[in-house]
Amino acid sequence: MVLLKPALNPETIRGTPEGLVDFDYMSLKLSDIDRNAVEEAVRLRDAYFKGSKIYSVTVAAWGPVDKRDKDVKMAVQEGLAKGVDEAFIVEDDSLTPGDPVTTASAIVAVIRKFNLKPDLVLAGEATIDGFTGQVAGRVAAKLGLPYVSFARKLDVKDGRIVAERDVEDYVEVVEAPIPAVVSVTREINVPRPPTLIQIRMASRKPQHVIKASDLEGVVKPKRKLAEARVLAVKRKQTIIEGKTLEETADKLIDALAAEGVIRVR
Amino acid sequence: MTSLVVAQKEDDVAEALTIARQVGEPHILVFGQVDPSPLLDYGHPVHHLRSDDTESLFLALRSLYESLKPSVVLAPTTKNLKDVLSRVAGLYDLPLATEVYDVKVSGSSASYRRGFLSGRAIALEEVPLPAVLLLAPRKTPRASKGGAKGTLETVQPPSPTVKVLERRPKERGGVNIEAAELIVSVGRGFRSKEDLKIAFELADVLGAQVGCSRPIAADLKWLSEDHWVGLSGHKVAPKLYIAIGISGAPQHLAGITDAKLVVAINNDKSAPIFKNCDYGVVADLYQFVPVLTKRLKERLNLSK
Repeated sequence: MVLLKPALNPETIRGTPEGLVDFDYMSLKLSDIDRNAVEEAVRLRDAYFKGSKIYSVTVAAWGPVDKRDKDVKMAVQEGLAKGVDEAFIVEDDSLTPGDPVTTASAIVAVIRKFNLKPDLVLAGEATIDGFTGQVAGRVAAKLGLPYVSFARKLDVKDGRIVAERDVEDYVEVVEAPIPAVVSVTREINVPRPPTLIQIRMASRKPQHVIKASDLEGVVKPKRKLAEARVLAVKRKQTIIEGKTLEETADKLIDALAAEGVIRVR
Repeated sequence: MTSLVVAQKEDDVAEALTIARQVGEPHILVFGQVDPSPLLDYGHPVHHLRSDDTESLFLALRSLYESLKPSVVLAPTTKNLKDVLSRVAGLYDLPLATEVYDVKVSGSSASYRRGFLSGRAIALEEVPLPAVLLLAPRKTPRASKGGAKGTLETVQPPSPTVKVLERRPKERGGVNIEAAELIVSVGRGFRSKEDLKIAFELADVLGAQVGCSRPIAADLKWLSEDHWVGLSGHKVAPKLYIAIGISGAPQHLAGITDAKLVVAINNDKSAPIFKNCDYGVVADLYQFVPVLTKRLKERLNLSK
């Protein structure tokens, strides 16, 4: 099973005249590191779990559903094209704007309602909008499963997973029983783009859209986003040109000296 | 009301205590092979867990959380603490946020700021207590020592189901890029590892540290990860950042928002880095950087 998030695409950020993030103008896309999670799920399935299905679970955190539905479906579709067999999507305006408390409880509610029994739950280490990297850990704790975070290498040996965890100061090799929840880093693989046939097949795969009222135990969002301000890093954007490379270099050195960051004659 | 501070280093404990003391009677959980006695001087109960693997830490924290029922859990933002605290937060449906600063606690809620949208925005968020907050480093003042000496208790959790088989320290290039005043940073514009010497020569002349973008450290492994600047690498705050052959992916730009002055050298004039630099030179780095190094050598030398 993989967890897929349609995340706000930071590259589409736009400010209001007051400098606040204008969410209306932002689109959603499949969070980058989720691609690595799908790729790894496919690789592991082909190597160790032949014949088993890959499910994806998605909880739409950004609403309203009417406006975001197309982006959400596109992100899920991308997962299906890359190798997911069946997708579950929780979409409900009562759960947006969501937070990780809601997302994790909804994922667990989907797993219980559809009686899914994943050997592995894979997720990206964090998503490109919030970047807190907490949903996978929450899901593990709620399901009472072992959790291996920041895996940059993953394998199965004698019915157990062996993973390389990538933390700040060291790399740690750990072993955990299956079933388990694993968060992966970008370094774990290089996601392959889906083929045209895969893209065409994706729309025929089963997708279940689920409302909050279909699920039990979904916790309403607790976090309130009081303000989101566009970080205005004002750079001068001055292009330096000269007739020769020497002249350009000297102009650049003069500029740096004028800024007081280097001292020259 | 109680609060709980979880950390490995005294600096991190002292910063978290500043907030913990506003909420309630703090307890401190310190972990790893460290001497916990200096922490007793802060005047709060200290719990010491000798292991530092995530599973043991999770089990210890869970039982401590159960017995203390703290209104807030505070910790520094590290990968292992993200791992462990996301699980504690999951068990009790507590809100959790990472890299937070400007934390304010009032009554039954807390507010804080944090980077959002891959570093392109700053969010102000509010959560009800109890909550878990992982602090951004060095943005909260340290608490002072004082009061009667705290008590010390050693914690012993049950044996973990996830086993650590091996630990390898990361290869270090001997840089502390986060503390560097001057950085010369390299990206995919370089065609081979050997060619990086062009940048190292410039860095030598300036007395700068060498940084790099993600592909150089993570994919090509031309430099060790302590050189890596960006959202998943290191966030830097030099007075001068020279980006050579770096196109300026959002994740990289998120790592240099605190740089005072950014210079970009790239042969592609449409590269996003030029919209995010103070001074840009559109040129072939192989031709321009050696000339820049030579001119700097001549002009900097004269000033000495």
